[in-house]
Amino acid sequence: MSTLAGSRREVFARRWIQIAGFSLAGLATAAVIAPVIWVVADIFVRGHSAITWDFLTQDPARQGKEGGIFPVIVGTFYLMIGTLIFAVPVGLQAAIYLSEYARPGRLLRLINLSIVNLAGVPSIVYGLFGLSLFVFTLNLKTSIMAASLTLACQALALIITSSREAMVAVPREWREGALALGASRWQTTRHVVLPRAMPGILTGIMLAIGRAAGETAPILAVGVAFQLGKLPNSPDDQFLALPYHLYAIAIQVPGMPESRMWATALVLLAVVLAFNLGGIILRIYYGRRRQS
Amino acid sequence: MTSNGEGQGLKLDITVAGEKMMQAREKDAALTQTATAHLRADRVNLYYGHFCALRDVSLEIPARSITALIGPSGCGKSSFLRLFNRMNDLIAGSRVEGRVLMDGVDIYSPDVDVVSLRRHVGMVFQKPNPFPMSTFDNVAFGPRRQGISKRSQLKDIVERSLREAALWDEVEDKLQEPGTALSGGQQQRLCIARVLAVQPQVILLDEPCSALDPIATLKIEDLMRELAAQYTILIVTHNMQQAARVSSQTAFMMADEERAGRIIEFGNTRELFTKPKDKRTEDYITGRFG
Repeated sequence: MSTLAGSRREVFARRWIQIAGFSLAGLATAAVIAPVIWVVADIFVRGHSAITWDFLTQDPARQGKEGGIFPVIVGTFYLMIGTLIFAVPVGLQAAIYLSEYARPGRLLRLINLSIVNLAGVPSIVYGLFGLSLFVFTLNLKTSIMAASLTLACQALALIITSSREAMVAVPREWREGALALGASRWQTTRHVVLPRAMPGILTGIMLAIGRAAGETAPILAVGVAFQLGKLPNSPDDQFLALPYHLYAIAIQVPGMPESRMWATALVLLAVVLAFNLGGIILRIYYGRRRQS
Repeated sequence: MTSNGEGQGLKLDITVAGEKMMQAREKDAALTQTATAHLRADRVNLYYGHFCALRDVSLEIPARSITALIGPSGCGKSSFLRLFNRMNDLIAGSRVEGRVLMDGVDIYSPDVDVVSLRRHVGMVFQKPNPFPMSTFDNVAFGPRRQGISKRSQLKDIVERSLREAALWDEVEDKLQEPGTALSGGQQQRLCIARVLAVQPQVILLDEPCSALDPIATLKIEDLMRELAAQYTILIVTHNMQQAARVSSQTAFMMADEERAGRIIEFGNTRELFTKPKDKRTEDYITGRFG
């Protein structure tokens, strides 16, 4: 009996260490979540009153002090689409190559490491790189095209890394099973690995594009404007974008009504969230399809 | 199993070059007539990098019967099995010396297409590995990769294969449910059905029952005996009783001092178990080691 009960001291210590350990983990989680909730709540409380139909659908007037932010939303929307178009096909294919085809070895490890590190390059560096390559060298002008390509370069690192990891995580048994049934390597990738990795791939894409939508520094030099006479109607046009607009009205325009700044921030948040929501719905769809 | 018109068409496309294909076809016809070895390993050495996993292995596996490979862990049984569908190719640095023949064709010769080969030589793995998709899609996977997309045709193949694998009655009304939701034994029979759907001539089984309970094991064994009428079956097993129960021939393998797998004794299963010629075989089957 006494051995089953264990030494009282040891049991006591073990219990308290466990409680302390999990409490710390819980506190850390709270410390991470609380600021996020606070920021979102604060932005909502201060900004929601300025969000009206006109605010969302009108052009800015008097340097943004009046009117709406419609062209700004449109600009950011175009940028996200552009980044998606340029980054996803290339990123996904690179990930497929690295995960499914490239011969494992030192070179591959080096390439993978470099790509991971690309994600850590400061965004202003991407901005200047884009200016030099797309605007000056390829003569794309400062435009939606140049800005999308620049953001795509930055998004690639994240998309490749997360897609590759999602694919590498697909169990070997399934690959072997498919190959043993006389599927080619490509068919195995296409019909076994990709469907299984899709949720992870979509998460990476969501994160990357959401981040691109919020970037200011990379687009500064390659085409973002504060005031434009018209909506962009071709990829060669300059554009407005939410993060830069927010920066400009907050810092550079004296006498800006505060609620309009908060409202702009709220719209930026909503755009990114809406995009992520789309991604989550796709994930669920893929999850279901995988089951059935 | 197959209505033979269709089966024959698939049968011998493992060589890419047309001429070789014809030669192979003739050889095949000759071999089937005399009913000699279907698969043959001829003085095979298998290397993983510098490590020699199989040394000087020769074996003749007759058609339409069950051949068992037994031996202690790490003696190269699985490596040997995987010679015949070239799964060892997946391991970087693997290299084969000697000849591995199927119907007289060296399956390691450069004009053999490995994907076609694997359609002739199916494989069932140790751990049931149904894909994360429906039972139907699992069985239809192989045929679909060969370009069969007509629903009615796929349905026929799926039903035929599941019946052949003695699973149809249990899954008939839940073909659209995930294959991974079946019990372990059912999953393994699903994996066998999946192989049968490709209409192979040879089925390799790599310890197919080691993750299953005794009843599921017996069902798989019954199934193997039935399939042996149509297919050449090669099974790796840890379980000597299983080898004794199902196989016609048994090969006993063991690793030598350098850990390279060798075949110690090969023969009629009954004789190998009752009158082993080699002392090591006797020691192993009487449970003195392993």
